Amino acid sequence: MKNKFNVKKNQNLSYLIFGAVLCTLPLWIELGVLKNSYLTLIGSVLIYSVAAIGLNLLLGWSGLISLGTAGFMGLGAYIAAYVTVNLKLPFEVSLLLGLAIPLVIGVLVGLISLRIEGLYLAIATLSVSEILRKSFEELGWFTNGFSGKSAVYPKLLGFITLDKYTTYILLVFFLIAVMILVNNLINGQMGRALNAMRGSEAAAQAMGVNLLKYRLVAFALATSLAALSGVLYMSFIKYTYPATWTLGMSLNILAVIIIGGVRNLYGTVLGAFVVFAMPDLFLKQIPYFGTMPGFAYIVNGILIILVILFYPRGLIYIGNDFKKLWGKLKARVAR
Amino acid sequence: MSTFLQLVLRSLETGSIYALAALGIIIIYRTSNITHFAQGAMGMFNTFVVTYLFTSAKMPLWMAILGGVTTALISGFLVDFIIIRHTKKVAPISKQIITLGLIMIFVGVAPFLFGVDPLNLPAILPNGAVSIGGASISYNGIFNISFGLVLMGILFYILQKTKWGLAIRTTASNEATARLMGVPTKTVTMVAWAIAGALGVLAGVMTAPFTSVNLNLMDGVQLNALIACVLGGFQTFYGPVLGAYIIGIVKNLLVYYVSSVWGEQLLYVGILIFIVFRPYGLIGKKIIKKV
Repeated sequence: MKNKFNVKKNQNLSYLIFGAVLCTLPLWIELGVLKNSYLTLIGSVLIYSVAAIGLNLLLGWSGLISLGTAGFMGLGAYIAAYVTVNLKLPFEVSLLLGLAIPLVIGVLVGLISLRIEGLYLAIATLSVSEILRKSFEELGWFTNGFSGKSAVYPKLLGFITLDKYTTYILLVFFLIAVMILVNNLINGQMGRALNAMRGSEAAAQAMGVNLLKYRLVAFALATSLAALSGVLYMSFIKYTYPATWTLGMSLNILAVIIIGGVRNLYGTVLGAFVVFAMPDLFLKQIPYFGTMPGFAYIVNGILIILVILFYPRGLIYIGNDFKKLWGKLKARVAR
Repeated sequence: MSTFLQLVLRSLETGSIYALAALGIIIIYRTSNITHFAQGAMGMFNTFVVTYLFTSAKMPLWMAILGGVTTALISGFLVDFIIIRHTKKVAPISKQIITLGLIMIFVGVAPFLFGVDPLNLPAILPNGAVSIGGASISYNGIFNISFGLVLMGILFYILQKTKWGLAIRTTASNEATARLMGVPTKTVTMVAWAIAGALGVLAGVMTAPFTSVNLNLMDGVQLNALIACVLGGFQTFYGPVLGAYIIGIVKNLLVYYVSSVWGEQLLYVGILIFIVFRPYGLIGKKIIKKV
């Protein structure tokens, strides 16, 4: 029982503490320590982390590659906007619908995934995403077409109207909830089944893992997390247009996982920070190159390739490796 | 009838663009075992080079295109030499993601070198049209269709009849065995990347007159070429080419006769249903995995 309050042993506790630390951000901004724009920046990092954790479940743990994240994020965002703005229903309903509809499509894609593998699956999910994006452009009554759709900050339980800071707290809440949920899932029976599936499908099947069930669950979870991230996007950024949800967005989410760390939740958040916040925080400060159009894109591209070639486990393990190196150095000095 | 003929002719033109891009993707896939997601981005980049040589350096168009093909060959060569060659030990999924990183680099470098404003590139044969059976097609359209067919004919001749083609086919079927047999697989892979680059820029130059030369020039081509590969199957060189023409024709027919808004989506849904029933494409065979 002593372990219950040991942060290193108790993952859930560590996520809660992480969440509490994130929640202090508005405080720092009010105190004037950090710039106001950082709130939007870190908020979007949290939003993209949710989608990336979903994709990590699929790519990292189940070994199924999907290029359709952006389509499902967009679907979630548009449903949220349509339900709250056009139908004037509460935020909770938009959350439910925004998760349920993409979930159904995700299950359908999961069914297709039973028949096809590897890059065929990647391209199949890419075309699903493309179908969704084209539909966003055409369904004017639903998405307001090219001119884009706006929304308002959510109103919880019908009477608590959120502002910028409290919406940010809501984002933190959802991210931590997702992290705890996914952490518990992957450390349970499901995680083991997914690991076995990734290693060898035939062996997993022989050991009695139900491929249909776990593939569907993995796809359903990944798509609904992507959609959740879309719903959060809509309540925090409050504006979207079809060109946001292209292949480029799916690639960015993929980059998040590869750079941060495959099969690591903190790694995913770190990756989201590197991909989505670093360009604005640091790269723009660099003289000459900072103002160059597309510089962030180049850095991310090079980073992906370097990480894959030289650091395939992801940047999150850099701390451990430094510790090991430090230990070795100390041992050498002691001798 | 003449509208139908017109549609088919127009589709053959877009079909040859898709076919050139798809051929590049399949050559890379067969020799390096990588799905080349950056085919479009590299084509876009080198089309920018062509446009730059044409508008800013005032070269004649054919010379600009030759210049673009040269940079395409060089960029393909460099990508293999600097990156792909060192990925022997990298996991298969990560290999695909490397090309995603390449997209980011090419899309990022292009505005740095050529500015953010979209540019214009004229067609190779700017005016004139002929009428075939009531359907009119521009000289440029005829040129694109026949150029695509001739180029692919030459490539298939090289693949099937020459020693180099044999080397490429052996590398494609089994890289380790090919190396043991004395095939210089490293050079073969490098040549494959260079050829894919050249095919990409040619597809880009053909696409450019329909729109402006911008960062998203090749997005549609890339997507349709990938889907063509899925439709035709990744096991043969000619499957994707066939798939590309089918997609070109079916897309235009659906857009014209069924719905101008939903035609393209219908095509993608149809292809999704198709792979559920034939997961290895039109020509592909089922790969039997050993456990």
